[in-house]
Amino acid sequence: MSIWRRRNESLDGEIQDYLDRQIEQNITGGMQPDEARLAALRKLGPLARVKEDTRAAWGWLWVEQLSQDLRHSWRMLAKNPGFTLVAVLSLGIGVGANCAMFSMADMMLLRPLPVSRPSEVLTLGSTNFQISAAQYDFLRASYPDYVDVRDRSKSFAGLAAFNIDRVRFKSAPNASPSVKTGEVASGNFFDVMGVEPELGRVFRPDEDQVPGRDAVLVLTHNFWQQEFAADPAVLGRTVQMNGIPFTVIGVLPAKFTGVDQWVQPLFYAPMMMLPRLDGASQNSASTNPLQRREARYLSVKGRLKPGVTLAQAKAEVSTIAAALEKQYPDTNRNQKMTVRTELEARIKGVPVELAMTIMLMTLAMAVLLVACANVAVLLTSRGPVRAREIALRVAIGAGRARLIRQLITESLLLALAGALAGLALGYGGIVLLRGITYPSDVPVVFSFNLDQRALAFSLAVAVGSVLLFGLGPALQTTRTDVANALKNSGDVAAGRRRLWGRNFLVSAQVAISFVLLTMATFMYVGFRRQVVSGPGFRTEHLLMMTFDTSLLHYTGDQTRQFYKQLLDRSQSVTGVKSAALSSFMPLTVEAEGFGLVPEGYQLPSGKQNVQAMGSRVSDSYFETMQTPLLEGRGFRVTDSASSPRVAVVNETLARHYWPGQNPVGKRFRLNDRNGPWVEIVGLAKDSIYISLQEGRSEFVYLPDLQNPAVRMVLLVETAAGTADLTGPLRNVVSGLDADMPVLAARTMHDFYDARGIRTTTVIVELVMAMGLMGMFLALIGLYGLVSYAVSRRTREIGIRMAIGAAQGEVLWMVLRQGLVLTACGLGAGLILSLGTQRILAAAFPGGNHPAMDVITYPLLTIALLLVTMLAAYIPARRAARVDPLLALRHD
Amino acid sequence: MSTGPQQNRIDLLQGTLDMLILRTLLFGPAHGHSIAHAIEHASEDVLQVEHGSLYPALHRLVRQGLLAAKDGISENNRKAKYYSLTAKGRKHLTAESSKWDRLTQAIGRIMQPAKEEES
Repeated sequence: MSIWRRRNESLDGEIQDYLDRQIEQNITGGMQPDEARLAALRKLGPLARVKEDTRAAWGWLWVEQLSQDLRHSWRMLAKNPGFTLVAVLSLGIGVGANCAMFSMADMMLLRPLPVSRPSEVLTLGSTNFQISAAQYDFLRASYPDYVDVRDRSKSFAGLAAFNIDRVRFKSAPNASPSVKTGEVASGNFFDVMGVEPELGRVFRPDEDQVPGRDAVLVLTHNFWQQEFAADPAVLGRTVQMNGIPFTVIGVLPAKFTGVDQWVQPLFYAPMMMLPRLDGASQNSASTNPLQRREARYLSVKGRLKPGVTLAQAKAEVSTIAAALEKQYPDTNRNQKMTVRTELEARIKGVPVELAMTIMLMTLAMAVLLVACANVAVLLTSRGPVRAREIALRVAIGAGRARLIRQLITESLLLALAGALAGLALGYGGIVLLRGITYPSDVPVVFSFNLDQRALAFSLAVAVGSVLLFGLGPALQTTRTDVANALKNSGDVAAGRRRLWGRNFLVSAQVAISFVLLTMATFMYVGFRRQVVSGPGFRTEHLLMMTFDTSLLHYTGDQTRQFYKQLLDRSQSVTGVKSAALSSFMPLTVEAEGFGLVPEGYQLPSGKQNVQAMGSRVSDSYFETMQTPLLEGRGFRVTDSASSPRVAVVNETLARHYWPGQNPVGKRFRLNDRNGPWVEIVGLAKDSIYISLQEGRSEFVYLPDLQNPAVRMVLLVETAAGTADLTGPLRNVVSGLDADMPVLAARTMHDFYDARGIRTTTVIVELVMAMGLMGMFLALIGLYGLVSYAVSRRTREIGIRMAIGAAQGEVLWMVLRQGLVLTACGLGAGLILSLGTQRILAAAFPGGNHPAMDVITYPLLTIALLLVTMLAAYIPARRAARVDPLLALRHD
Repeated sequence: MSTGPQQNRIDLLQGTLDMLILRTLLFGPAHGHSIAHAIEHASEDVLQVEHGSLYPALHRLVRQGLLAAKDGISENNRKAKYYSLTAKGRKHLTAESSKWDRLTQAIGRIMQPAKEEES
C-alpha cells in the first residue's frame, strides 16, 4: 500500500502548503501569528472532513472505509468479550441446530436428483400402490401399463421406467458369487435423465426391444472402482449375472448416483433382460414380469414437453388410466394414475419420517428464536452506551449513512462468527445423525452432508437473524439527539420503554424453552417405555439370514424343497434351539400388503378389500420369535397346501373388524371378494412392525406352506452361550446348493439396535439437546436482563438501603422481577405445549400417555422455575450487597 | 466573526466551482491557495469559496482528466503542487462557459424583463 501512503502524504503536504500560505497572508494583513493560524484553519474548514472528501474524489474510498469499518467492528467486539462471547455462542447454537436439521430435511426432501435440470423430472404411476398401515404412498406402474401410458400420452417428452433388481453376481465365470443391487431400466432411461457416460456408451434404443436378447451392462462409477479397480479395459468384458453372461458397455460418471432417493444402484441393465434375470418363462403371460399388468412395482419418471403444464399432464394421465380400466377390468379396476413432482413424491413417500423432520425443523427454529432474542436483548442493553459513542461520532462530523454502514459491518462480522460457531455445532449434529443406519439387503444410503447447500443455508440463517434482530435496535441509536445523549448517561423514560420489549423477549424465551423441554421429555418418556416394554419379539440369541431362490431360477417345487430342507437341517445344527422362516423382517419397510375381505364387515364403497401388512411364516415362527399367542393356536406342519387355509391376526386387526369378540373361528377372504376363505386360528399379541415409533398397525400372519414366497428370512434361536453359528449354518446352505447366496446374515440384537434403538435414540438425543440449549439460552437471557436492570438501578438501590431497606427486601425486589417474567413465560409455555403435544403425538405416538401430563408438567414447571430463579438470584445478591456509599457516588 | 463585507458575499452555486477553477487556470498553472484567492479576488470578494471544498474539486477534476497535477517549486523556493488545464479541460471549459452564458441570459430575461424593454 505504498502508493496509498504516498498519495495521503502528498495530500497532507498540499493542505499544509495552503495553510502556510494563508497564515503568511494573514500576518501580512496585520494579524498576530496565533490569530493568523486560527483564521487560516477556519478558512479551510474542518481538516479531517476536507481530507476525507478529497480522498472520496479518488474513488477508492469504499475499500478504505470497509477496512476501517472492519477494524473498528473488530475493536468493538474485542473490547466487550462478554457481549461478543454470549452473542456468538447464542447465534452459534441457533445456527448449528438449524444447520443439522437442514441437512436432514435436505436429504429427505430437498436435495435435487443428480441429473440435468432435476426440477423438471416428474414421477408417474398408480396411486393405490401403498401399504395402508404404514401410509407409504408411492407411485408405481406395471410394465404393460407403463408402455400404454408412454405410447398414448402426448404430454411427455420422455418417460423412463426402472426398478431395483438384486442379482447373483460373478465378475468371472469361476469367481465366487456375491449379491449385488442394481437397476433394470428402459432403453430411454439415460436419455430422459440426461446422463452421459464417462466411459464407453449407454444402451442403444434397439437394445431394449427384444426380450432377453441384449445382455449389456452399464456400470456406475462406484461399482467400476470397487469391483474393477477403475480399469478402463473393463469395456467389452463379460460378467455373470444370475448365470447369464453380460457385456460391459459403459461406465457412468461419479456424480450420477441414481434417481432413487435411498438406494444407490451399482449397475444398469436393459428392462428387456428382466424376464431372463428373473428366470421367468418368456412365453407365459402369468409369470413374465413384462406381461403381468397387475404386477405394479416399476418406478416411472419423465419430463414434460415444452409448454405442457403439470395439470394438463395429470388430466391426460388419468384419462388414459380410465381407458385402461375399461379395457382391462380384471387387472386395472380402481387403478387411478397420477403425476407428481419430485418433492411431492418424496413428501408422500415418507410420511412418518416427514412428520419427524418437520417437527425437528420446527424445534430448531424455536431454538433459533430463543437465540435471536438473546442477541436482540444484548444489543438493546448496549443501546445507551452505543448511543453515547455514536452521538460523539456524529458531533465530530460522521454522516448517518456512514454510521449505518459501520453498524451493518459490525452485525455482519457478528453473523460470520456466529455462522462459524454454528457450523462446528451443526457438524456435531450431523455426525450424530449419521448414527442412523439402515441395515437391509439393498444398499440404502442416508447421506447427511455438511455440503455447500448446508453451508449456504447456515450463513443465510446467521446473517438473516442478525440483520432482523440485531440491526433494528442498532439503527435506532443513530437517531439519537446528540446533545441529550452526550449530556445524559442514560435516559430513564426511554429506558423503561425499552425494558418492556426486553421483558417480553425474555418471557418468550422462557415459554419456548418450556415447550422444547416438555417435547423432549414427552419423547424421552415414550421412548423409554417402548424400550422397556420391548418390541414384542425376541431380540437376543436370534440369528437371521435372508435367501432368495429366484436368483437361481428355482421352480416352485425346488423352492419349497429348499426351504423345507433348510429348516430341517438348521434345526439339527448343534447349538440351535429352534428355527423358523418368515417373509418379512420387522423394522424393514419391505412389508408386504395383503388384501382382506373380513366376513360380516361392510367394505367402504368403491373398495375391493381392506389392506393389512402381513407375513408368510413357518409353523415354528411364534415360538422362535417369542411372539405370544393370546388366543387359539399357531401354525402347524399340517397347515399345508392341501389343508384348509388358516391365518393368525394381531390384536389391532382383530379389534378393528371384530370389536369385543374373540377372532378365533372368524373368516375372511384373501385378496378380494372372489378370493379363498381363510379361517383365523389364532390371535397374536401386537408387536412393532415398521418402526419403534409407529402407532398400532394391523397385521396378519399366513402359513408359508399355503402361501409360498421365494424370498424368506431364516430365523435361528441359539442356545445361550453358543459361539457364532453363522459358519455352520452357511455350511448347511452350501450343502443344499453351493450357488445359493446368503443375502444378509446378522443377529437380531444388532439389527434391532441399529434399526430400532439407535435411530430413535438419535432423534431423542437431538430433541433433548435442543431443549437443553433452549433452556440454557433462556437462562442467559434472564440473567443478562436482571443484571442489566440491577446495574441501572444501583443508585436507586443505594438510596433505598441508605434510608433503611434491609438486604432481604432488596434481594426480593430484584428477584421478583425475574419471577414475574418466568411466571409469564411458563404460563404461555403451558398453553403452547398443550397445542404442540397433539402435533407431537402424531410424530411419536409411543409417548402419548395420560400419566405424562400429570407428572411431566408440574415437574418441569418446578424445575424451570428453580433454575430461572438461580439465574436471577446471582445478580439479585449482587444488588443486595451494594454499598450505599459507593452506589450514591456511582456514575 | 466579522460582519460588514461578509453580508454581501454569495455562496457558490452548486457545480459552478469546477467551471471557475477551469477558468482561473486558463491563465496558466497555479497551486491550490492561489486558485482560491484568484477566484475570490476576481469576483471582487463577492463569491465566498469554501476553501475546504476546493481540494475535493481539484482532485475530482484530475481524476476526470480535465486537469493535470505536477509537483513544482514555487516563487519562494517551496515545494508545491501545480494544477494546469489539459486539452480536454480546455474543451470542457468552452462548452461549460457557453452553457453558462445561455443560462444567465435566460435567467436575466426572466428576472428583469422591464429593464430590457426600457433600454
